[in-house]
Amino acid sequence: MIRINKYSTEMFLMSSFRKALKSKQKNHHERSQPGARKHMGLLEKKKDYKLRADDYHKKQNTLSALRKKAMEKNPDEFYFNMINSKLQDGVHTINKPKEEDEVTEEQKNMMRTQDIKYVEMKRVAEAKKIERLKGELHLLDADSKQKNKHTFFVDSKKEVQTFNLATHLNTAPELIDRVYNRPTLHTLESEHIMGAVQPGALKKMARQRKHQYKILAQRIDREKKMFVISQKIQTRKDLQDKNKKVKVKKETANAAAIYKFKPKRKR
Amino acid sequence: MRPGFSPRERGRGGGRGGFGGRGGMRGGRGGGFRSPDGGFRGRGGGGGRGAPRGRGGRGGRGGGFGGGKKVLIEPHRHEGVFICRGKEDALVTKNLVVGDSVYGEKRINVEEGDVKTEYRAWNPFRSKLAAAILGGVDQIHIKPGAKVMYLGAASGTTVSHVSDIVGQEGLVYAVEFSHRSGRDLLNVAKKRTNIIPIIEDARHPHKYRMLVGMVDVIFADVAQPDQTRIVALNAHNFLKNGGHFVISIKANCIDSTAAPEAVFASEVKKMGVENMKPQEQLTLEPYERDHAVVVGIYRPPPKQKK
Repeated sequence: MIRINKYSTEMFLMSSFRKALKSKQKNHHERSQPGARKHMGLLEKKKDYKLRADDYHKKQNTLSALRKKAMEKNPDEFYFNMINSKLQDGVHTINKPKEEDEVTEEQKNMMRTQDIKYVEMKRVAEAKKIERLKGELHLLDADSKQKNKHTFFVDSKKEVQTFNLATHLNTAPELIDRVYNRPTLHTLESEHIMGAVQPGALKKMARQRKHQYKILAQRIDREKKMFVISQKIQTRKDLQDKNKKVKVKKETANAAAIYKFKPKRKR
Repeated sequence: MRPGFSPRERGRGGGRGGFGGRGGMRGGRGGGFRSPDGGFRGRGGGGGRGAPRGRGGRGGRGGGFGGGKKVLIEPHRHEGVFICRGKEDALVTKNLVVGDSVYGEKRINVEEGDVKTEYRAWNPFRSKLAAAILGGVDQIHIKPGAKVMYLGAASGTTVSHVSDIVGQEGLVYAVEFSHRSGRDLLNVAKKRTNIIPIIEDARHPHKYRMLVGMVDVIFADVAQPDQTRIVALNAHNFLKNGGHFVISIKANCIDSTAAPEAVFASEVKKMGVENMKPQEQLTLEPYERDHAVVVGIYRPPPKQKK
């Protein structure tokens, strides 16, 4: 049998009723800055105030604690920080006892070996590519190349005086400077040029050729740089050796330092 | 594009077979926007697989040089030699054995009308003769139909180009002392019938005198201190009167202490004693340092008096 107390029923109904009502109830928000007071800036909300206040109180507490500590300090007392710390260039630093190195000499040596091997591998790959490019780019009319020397041997002084390069080579005078190919007059008459001869195609090919030469120059440069890098790492590795050595030459941007090592018998 | 197209095609076909019923459904969907009878599919698959093979003939590593009109081939002063200018800037010879690279050099295919020609790049950084040609030497005397004796043939890289130049009518006697590089030389000679490999010391021409007839020109790249003597010995035995010699001199190999010019001069002097008359001398910058090529005539015919 269930007896229902009038009061409890009322309470029960009340609470559920209240909850039900809550769904209809309007949520009140903190108001934002009214338009008339806009010039005063953003209106601070409770939670903003809370953050600011907490921070302020924390700082005040720290300050008062420090003040108290300073007041109660015993000037005769010894602290280890007195000997373990100092001012360095105006900055308070703590000199820690020297811990063991994270990387041992042996590991360093190993890492350097691996570094050298990697750089060498890349360098060799670059050298191979250079070789391949050189196989098809023969510097036919490069301006900067060193000039070679061409000597003709003739029988008499008279021939030296009357020597004419164009007639001697049996070619057209305007081709004299075109060293890589000075076709003979006979060749000029009987043979003809094959392949692409339209001006547009020629222009395009010239552009591509120029690009290829640029790539070659870059690769040569890169290969040189990698050689320097591997030399420098090697020098650092050699320096780990405990043997006596004298620096002969300083390191530069494109050469490793040179050391002279005292000879030591290896057993 | 095609090769990328075909595997995908094949992959989808495999999927259909494997999944059975589900594959069937997918097939149906595919049929919707392709062809209901699947006729297109069959044709597409065949085409996809066939096309790459058709290209493969020209493709591969050498094919990238570009056929058609991507290069310009210019006949050179020396017969049998050409200049190729396209993306590349190369000295080339006409390949005697089409489709074959001797030492990994690049090949260039050129179509002129119906005639397809293959050229091989000749690297002047590796070959003294090529360096001399690009340096503007007057005569190399190596031309189609010539009989050439090549002393110091090494692995046969330059020899292969000489064999290209002289062609089927010409002949190259390639002399090399080292067995190791001689092995490579033999392999080159297997494919090129105009090369006669001789694995002997060039200082003893009598050892191979039965193999060699009279030759028109001797090319020497032996890099020995007594190389002029070696060439002279061979010239006395095999070079015809009025034949020519082309000698490459590496100054360091003759005398590493003297100045290169002095070394070249002394070598030229030695030639005079051996009845070899030098006609021109050319240094090989920028391809080689302190190298020279001397070209001359052996036992020149006496001068006609007017």
